[in-house]
Order: sequence, then structure tokens, then C-alpha cells
Amino acid sequence: MKLSNVAIIYRKELVDTLRDRRSLFTSIVLPMLAFPVLLGGMIGLMVFFAQRASRDVTPVMLLGEEHAPALAARLRAVENFKIVPPADDYAARISDKKLRAAVEFPAALEENLTARPEETQTVTVYHFEGEFRSREALRAVQRAVRDYRDQVVEQRLAARGLSPDALQPFAWEKENVASAEQVTGVIAGMFLPYMVILLAFTGALYPAIDLSAGEKERGTLETILASAVSRTELVAGKFLLVFSASLLTTLLAVASLAVTLLAGAQYLGRLTGGFVVALSWKAGATVFFLIVPLAVVFSAALLAIALLARNYREAQSYTTSLSFLVILPALGSLVPGVELNARLALVPILNISLAAKDIFVDRYPWALLGLIFLSTCVYAAVALWVAVRQFHREEALFRT
Amino acid sequence: MIEARNLTKVFRDKKRGEIRAADGVSFTCRPGQIYGLLGANGAGKTTTLRLLATILQPTDGTAKVAGFDILDEAEKVRAHVGFLSTATALYGRLTAREMVEYFGRLNGVSDSALRSRVDELFQLLDLNEYSDRRCDKLSTGNKQKVSIARTLVHDPPVMIFDEPTVGLDVMTARTIVGFIRDCRARGKTVLFSTHVMSEAEKLCDTIGIIHNGKLLREGTLAELRQQTGLTDLEDIFVQAVEAAGPVPAQ
Repeated sequence: MKLSNVAIIYRKELVDTLRDRRSLFTSIVLPMLAFPVLLGGMIGLMVFFAQRASRDVTPVMLLGEEHAPALAARLRAVENFKIVPPADDYAARISDKKLRAAVEFPAALEENLTARPEETQTVTVYHFEGEFRSREALRAVQRAVRDYRDQVVEQRLAARGLSPDALQPFAWEKENVASAEQVTGVIAGMFLPYMVILLAFTGALYPAIDLSAGEKERGTLETILASAVSRTELVAGKFLLVFSASLLTTLLAVASLAVTLLAGAQYLGRLTGGFVVALSWKAGATVFFLIVPLAVVFSAALLAIALLARNYREAQSYTTSLSFLVILPALGSLVPGVELNARLALVPILNISLAAKDIFVDRYPWALLGLIFLSTCVYAAVALWVAVRQFHREEALFRT
Repeated sequence: MIEARNLTKVFRDKKRGEIRAADGVSFTCRPGQIYGLLGANGAGKTTTLRLLATILQPTDGTAKVAGFDILDEAEKVRAHVGFLSTATALYGRLTAREMVEYFGRLNGVSDSALRSRVDELFQLLDLNEYSDRRCDKLSTGNKQKVSIARTLVHDPPVMIFDEPTVGLDVMTARTIVGFIRDCRARGKTVLFSTHVMSEAEKLCDTIGIIHNGKLLREGTLAELRQQTGLTDLEDIFVQAVEAAGPVPAQ
């Protein structure tokens, strides 16, 4: 194999790919824009819904208000609550979303609180389970009822000469001992491995199709096969381009995510109640090191599979089926309770997904990481061998 | 020089079974000669040419092209052949110059020689105006000229053309025919396939009639006339094909 020929093919494929808008968009533009757009969109939607919820009037009905005038007054004072006159069709109106909740007070509720304190009175709140705005109304009602109940309890304790502190014999507080990197790592460890694996795959996808089935469809494959270059040199040049695209997409996307998170840290902190964004360089570098042989597997496998197709569209349908085989094990990091062990370290994709979950919380099981790297290198070698073999098969090259 | 010896290519198809696209094809084409393979669509012309250009591997038989064996020295064969067919398209996103230079480099032309070689070819083919235009923006005729420049950039001693004028207008087809004659004049070995009788009559020093993968008759036009007692090449062709029997179901 002449390396100079591989370099010539690589350089040409690079120029060709950089002039292909579809590959350029999926490999460079999309990974850079995806996270700012997603995160910005998410924050924007949250702010929008929060503002709308604070502006919107919530119709609530009180049934038997005369039995609990003090509690009813508290409910009337809830911000944005609009108390509507009582009616028998409250259940139907809640189902129709015309009414968000109805509160039913038992007979002589407030009288019985003093007259028969040993009895527990029950206030019923009718609502639409699972419906967002009904759930918000239910929460507001629960807060008002709980405040009123606490007030009654305080009064009863005072009547017996007891302080409200009698109900709290001791206090407790929580203190976080994990570093900001570890806290971020728990969350990052859940979704980042999945995204990084998927990005390495999608980064390779379009260039692989374009350089194999795309060439077949455009009639340029026979042109290059008729040149003095060997098929191994040809597949090596093409593979290197697809592999570069896969790594570039992953790096750009992760860099874009990091910048987006840091830029949006203030907002995120406010929305999540003090979440601090801190990612470790060591973790990022280790995960990237594991992704490299996986990107080889993806690039070689996609080239080999796409070459089987007659045209671009057929290649897309083949690779879509393959993407399910990537997504399922990549989701491993999101499944609670699944821990990395020697056996799972041999399962491609899943092993990296689980390892990354550990790495992001600052745990480095080096022996298992070594096993993952080596096993992925073996899969990469097999995938490369299959791709090279595929470019020597006339049935694949000339399937039209 | 091309020496084909018992070249055979069998394809296996799930629906159609075994297809003998080339069936024991043997012929010789010498430098300074144009050898024309004349046959109908599906006769085995393209397969034979692809075997000689080492794009396909023969099931049986072999050939020597420019002194190299197609089985053992495939890369050397390709380095000494310029192959042009309807299926050898251009890279649409490369410019005409980039396209020709790319194939020059792959065929071992040094960077120092490449620029002047491409300039010379573009001058010869009247392509200077289009050298920096992307191939997908070129007219059909200019695309074919760039393809010719691509096949010639490494100055190969053997040229193989598979129906090079199909789909071209009269003027462009004339340019191509003139170019094929020019290759012969420069002493190159030219193998050329066509189903157009007039083209074969005008161009070929030797004509081989191919049908169902078999070479049925071979000779100069005068020899074929003498063998058959017919004067018109079309009549000679029809007689050879009919004598070979019906076309097997494919």
C-alpha cells in the first residue's frame, strides 16, 4: 500500500466533502448549532410557560364555602385564583378544562375544629389528574389548606401552653460533600455518553454514504477503480475522511455543549436551584480517548454497509436500521442500576456508555477502561477488514 | 499491446442463474491499431473491456496488457491504460483541472510534470476556458473532453474505450472519433467497443463481432467481407449473430 496514494485520495475526498452542503451541514454546522439552539430553546420555553402561568387566571370553585369562611378567604386570596359560583356540574367542567379545581368543605368544618377537636375533618379537592394547569391549581390549594392547618395546630398548642417547637424536637440539615465536577458529572454522565456516541455515529454517516453509495450513484466509482490506485489504498483514503468527520463532529459538538453550558450557567443555576456547571478536562480527554476506536468502528462499518446499497436512498435506509443498533446500547448510561463490569466491558458501545458514566463522576476503573479500549480496537480492526474486503467484492461494487 | 486469452467471466444471479458475460474471448490488438468490438447491447463488450482494465477479475483465462498480466500485475496494467466508458463519470464537485490533476497524481505523474501536462491537454482539447469550472456545471461535450483528458494525463500506451460516443451530439462525437484516430497515429494500442456499424467501419483496423459473450468473427473489414461474401458490415454482423443461434433467456 502506497501511503502517498492514500494521502492523495484523502485530500481529494476532503475537498469534495467540504463542497458537499449536506455533509458540511451534518458534520460541522449541525453539531455546533444543536446545543445552543436546544438549550436556548429549552430555557426560552421554560421562561415563556412560567410567565404565562403567572399571568393566566385559574378558575376554582368552592363547594360549601359557608362551612369554612376563614379557609375560603385564604383560597380567595391565592394569586391568579378566580373563584367561580358553585354548581353541580363541576366534575364535567374540570374534565372540559373550563374549571381547574373544585374544593369541597365538609359541613360545619370550622365549627367542629373547636367543638369536636378529636375528629379529623376532610377537605376534598377535585382535579384533572395529569393535566398541567389543574395540577398547578391543586398544588396552590394544597399550600393554602396546609398553611391553614398549621395555624390551627399552633393555636391548639398555644391553648395547652405549648410552643410550636414542641413538634420539632430536633432539626436537620444537608451538606454536599461532592465537588462541583462530581455534581455536574452525575448529570453529564447520564446523557453525555449517549450524545457523544450518537454524534460519533452521525458524523460518520453522511460522508460514508456519499463516498460509497453516492459515488456508485454518480458513476464515479468505476472511474476511480480504473485508475492505478489499489482498492486497499482507495478504502483507506475514504475511511480516513469518514473517520475525521466522525471525530470532528464529536469534538465540535462537545465544545459547543461546553460553551453553551458555561454561557448559560447563570440561567441554569437559577432554573435548577443553584446547579453549578463544572466539567473535568481529565474526564473529557479519557472519554475522547475511548471514542477514537469506536469512531473507527462506525466509519468502517458505515462504509462497508453503504457500499452494499445501489444508491444514496437505499444506503440511508440500511444505515437507519443500523442506527437502532447504536442507540440501544448507547442508552445504557441512562438505565439506573447498570454498572460496568468485566463482561459488560466487552459489549461494544454499551461499554463506553457505562464507562463514561463512571468517568464523569471521577471514578476511573483503569483495568476495565483498558479492556474497553483493547476490545474496541479489536472490533475496529474487524470493521476495517470487512470494509477493505467489501471494496474487493465485485458483487458490492457493481450492484446496480 | 493487448493479448486476451480465453477470457471468461461468469456472473451468478439469484433469479437468472449463471450468466456467461464473456465466454472464452481471445484476440490480439497491436500498437498503432484500433481493434473494435462490435456487438449488441448485453453482448459482453463492457464486461470484456472491464476485465482488460482489471476493474473485474476473470473467472477463467487471462490477458496481457502493455506487457503486464491482468491477474498478477493489475495495478501496473491500470497505470498503463486509459479507460473511458459511459460509466466513468466525473467528480461533479471538483473543477475540470482538479479532476485531471487528481488522476494524474494517482497514476504517478510528478507534481512538476503535472501542471504542464494538464495545460497541454486542455489546450489540445480546447478546455482552457472551462478549467476552473466545476465538472457538474460543464456541458455533456465538455464533460466528455475532461474524461478524455483524465484518461490521457499519464500518457498511457493502451487506450480502452467503451462506447465513447453514446449520447453525444454529432460535433462532440466527431471530436471523440478524431481523438481516437489521433491515439492510433501516436502509436497507442486502441481497443474500442461500439454497437454503431458506421463507427466501426470508419475507425477500426480489426473488427471482432461479439455475441452472448463469445467472439464469433474477427478480421479486417476486407477479411470479413471475404469470409462472408457480404459487403455491408450490418449484413455481416446479422449473419454472424443468426448463425450463432437464439439469444438465451436472461
